[in-house]
Amino acid sequence: MDNSPARPLAACQLIVVTGKGGVGKTAVSALLGAALAEAGRRTLVAEVDPRENLHQMLGVAPSGGEILRAGPRLWVQNLSPQRVIDELVSEQVKIGLVARRVLASPIYQQFTAGAPGLKEMAVLGQAFRLLSGRAGTGAPAIDTVILDAPATGHGVALLAAPALVAEVIRSGPIGRMSAAVAELVADPLRTAVVTVTLAEEMPVQEVLELAAALEEKLGRRPDLLVANGLFPPFPPALARDAAESDPAAVLWRRLRANQDRELGRLAATWSWSRIDLPLLPLARGPELVAALRRAAEGQAAWKAVRS
Amino acid sequence: MAALVSTREPLLVFVGSGGVGKTTLAAATAVRAAREGRRTLVMTFDPSLRLKDALGVGEEARDREIPVPLEAPGTLHVSLLDARRTFDRLIERYSTDAAGRDRILANRFYQQLSGSLGGILEYMAVERLFEVASGAGERFDQIVLDTPPTRQALDFLEAPARIVGFLDSGALRVALKPWFDEAGHLKATARWGGLGRRVESFLDEVVGLDLLREMAEFFQAFAPLFTGFRERAREVEALLISSRTRFVLVSGPGEEAIPDTLFFARRLLQAGHHLAGIVVNRVHPRFDLPAAEGSRTAEETALDGRRLLAWLGERDERGLAALASLAGSRQPLLSVPLAADEPTDLPALAALGDLLAERFARASLG
Repeated sequence: MDNSPARPLAACQLIVVTGKGGVGKTAVSALLGAALAEAGRRTLVAEVDPRENLHQMLGVAPSGGEILRAGPRLWVQNLSPQRVIDELVSEQVKIGLVARRVLASPIYQQFTAGAPGLKEMAVLGQAFRLLSGRAGTGAPAIDTVILDAPATGHGVALLAAPALVAEVIRSGPIGRMSAAVAELVADPLRTAVVTVTLAEEMPVQEVLELAAALEEKLGRRPDLLVANGLFPPFPPALARDAAESDPAAVLWRRLRANQDRELGRLAATWSWSRIDLPLLPLARGPELVAALRRAAEGQAAWKAVRS
Repeated sequence: MAALVSTREPLLVFVGSGGVGKTTLAAATAVRAAREGRRTLVMTFDPSLRLKDALGVGEEARDREIPVPLEAPGTLHVSLLDARRTFDRLIERYSTDAAGRDRILANRFYQQLSGSLGGILEYMAVERLFEVASGAGERFDQIVLDTPPTRQALDFLEAPARIVGFLDSGALRVALKPWFDEAGHLKATARWGGLGRRVESFLDEVVGLDLLREMAEFFQAFAPLFTGFRERAREVEALLISSRTRFVLVSGPGEEAIPDTLFFARRLLQAGHHLAGIVVNRVHPRFDLPAAEGSRTAEETALDGRRLLAWLGERDERGLAALASLAGSRQPLLSVPLAADEPTDLPALAALGDLLAERFARASLG
């Protein structure tokens, strides 16, 4: 079955980049951001990680939560879910003193920390506010938000959260926003899901579980799969000559063979739009992002991003 | 076989970021412990299919400890940790009556809470650890505990303190008050007449009364269990900082993993935990090949797997040296080389366990 997205990623409003920790989600988010901005979309890449690795990838100093410019038509923001919820409540409770007392109360803190789906909802809610021009004065107008999703658990919990919250909170600003965000996330014409993986057993297992859960809970599949950190194919010529006496060649061949096995496992499940990214001898940063982007743009599956 | 002085304590906890290979190292260490003659239990969250195959266990290990057929003077059992099942089991065990139990299990708030959402996995690991550790003395000499694959790996360690903090905070007392009347309206608002109705509709607007109602119901149904929770959380907290518990911090190779590793190490020591050592896992070997030659770009280098491996070897060596100078000599620092294949059977796990034990012994002496 053809699994190419309903429309190219570059035409979507929200791109959620999911995957296990350490697979290169942040690099992929950054390269998509750079590509979309260049294609003319006003793009904001958001991360939910206090370490701000995304800022490092894009060559921007850590911001502590502010929206920063990372290039022409490109912005970056580090999101704290709690901060987003606090902002929503402050907007609702218009009297400053009361708002401060609410925010400081342990009941409010325990509630917002423990209420199921609320944090996930807040992250997507911020994307929604940016897209609808309601993120406050000074926020740039944004066509596309790319969300470098938190690594914990499956991205499904994140994507299912708005519907869950909308079900229990049916009215008011949080309820209305949840319903709108749930609609956005369920719409394949507006929201795309990108899944990043290494060609290793555990990350691949998680991708297969994520795809199955997405289909079951949201009736959709990842629009694009990115296999990251690949060793170059082992040249057959090398296998005949030096391989056995060259330990580096032996290790190369075995590592790539294991990666091929895992890529095969992915391909056997269904046909993905898949972009393969090489393992590059570069540290985290703009140079790595640019090189990965060059590698991605040369591939047939790039049409899932820009047709 | 050299005994492992620093890793023989009754509880050995493997911590580190997700994807660094701590589950495999924990299993290998447990195999080694059984071969040293100890009755050993390895508790793990998320083993790969391959590792489950290697240990010869399946889904049944979610409910009880499964013995591993190992030719050894000691014994090895495996237990898979499952947050939802532990939570359900706990409620069944501590509920005072069937009706109370059913009320909790049917509560929508509970169903969401004990699902995939944050924090609960760590919390349940603590409960499970208590379950096993409290009766373990007679059954096991050593428990090897793998921690959940969260990015914030230390959430797990802080779970007991968080639970106690929550139970002692005013939030619970407030939550336990009978806020709602039989008709599901806020009691206070009924007393306050028109103003009360406005308050109620305001609350409904902001957070939704349905949610508040379910939360209140959940806490009330849960109340009889809370005393036990506090005691157990305190005991586990004490166990985790006692000298009978040692932590092994597992790190990925390369310089980019260093900030996380140092952060974990500092947090562990600050919290009073005992660190057996830092293990840098999957270190690429050094090859006698120039990684880069003058004009070669990164992309060109990446086309030749040998040069790429040479670069990775150099990178990991730099990372190890930097970590050694930054971490100081307060705890052993050791490295485990990258293996092309993860262990797929018990002999391979045993070999990895032996290698780790040797490196621990060497690092402790040096």
